[in-house]
Amino acid sequence: MQQTKTFFNEEKFFVFHSNHSLFYKPFYKYYHFMKDLNFTEKESLELISQMIQQSKKNLEIGDGNILLYYGYTAIILAITVYTLVHVTHDAVWSSIWFLMFLPFILISVANNRSKPQVTTHIDKAINSTWSILGWLFLLSVVIIAIFGLVVGTFYFSLMLPLSLLYAGIGISITGVIINFKLMIYTPLVAFIAAIYMLISLIPGSFISNWWNLLFGASFLIMMIIPGHLLNHKAKESC
Amino acid sequence: MLKELNPLIHSQLRLAIMTLLVSVEEADFSYLKEQTNATSGNLSVQLDKLSNAGYIKITKEFVGKKTRTSCRLTEEGKRAMEEYIEILKSYLNL
Repeated sequence: MQQTKTFFNEEKFFVFHSNHSLFYKPFYKYYHFMKDLNFTEKESLELISQMIQQSKKNLEIGDGNILLYYGYTAIILAITVYTLVHVTHDAVWSSIWFLMFLPFILISVANNRSKPQVTTHIDKAINSTWSILGWLFLLSVVIIAIFGLVVGTFYFSLMLPLSLLYAGIGISITGVIINFKLMIYTPLVAFIAAIYMLISLIPGSFISNWWNLLFGASFLIMMIIPGHLLNHKAKESC
Repeated sequence: MLKELNPLIHSQLRLAIMTLLVSVEEADFSYLKEQTNATSGNLSVQLDKLSNAGYIKITKEFVGKKTRTSCRLTEEGKRAMEEYIEILKSYLNL
């Protein structure tokens, strides 16, 4: 009877036969999960399929917390600014809107302290979209400030319609990427509000205090509602 | 004649790592360990082999006070994986 003895080196799997012939059997079936051994083509395909399914399962669970951080900040600031301007009749309180950068700073600090285990291609696309929009926010503030220094008036009220447009575009693109239809369409409210605000800026019209509330309401529809729905969806899939 | 499957990829753990990294942009050591059920030692050895072959890029950084090892597939790794799949398909007549 022919006897065989097996041994392994780093890359190859050899079989010694009793007749002292040594031959390399790259696809010899020896199943020991996740050991550094060669295995059959069919097993290879099964492993690829299994790993793809496993990674998909782990990556489908996303959450809408980022939307909620920005959404609730917008609503709190909207009510605060509206109330302060209404009571004091001083538009300087609108500068509180700069606190909209606060969630961005806090999220950045938190991300630096604990990075996620895995970054998907979807995460990268979403992060890149918001990174570009974040820079647009910042550039808009800088450009308005520079023009303000030149002409003597700072038109920071423009930031309300611009922010609605930027955030709306970001939410819509995010909705397309994660295939969440509600997020694609809810920013329409923000676009309408932004266009209304821009039309109001035509000479002869005036900037109303209620813009602040309109801004907050747009964020409620555009960010808070989809954010909670996303979280609900994520809980269900757990 | 059928081409030989790339021996650097045609190993259960290394193939699992490569497949996981194809599916994501970047993954850290603990994620790969969880998904593959491999031991830390074995996973480290296989990651080094793939890194030495230029198939993956390993980045070590400090996150807070802890070290974090993250891996991502390189362009060469993507090409090697595509070639591996093509050869595999020819073996299985797909």
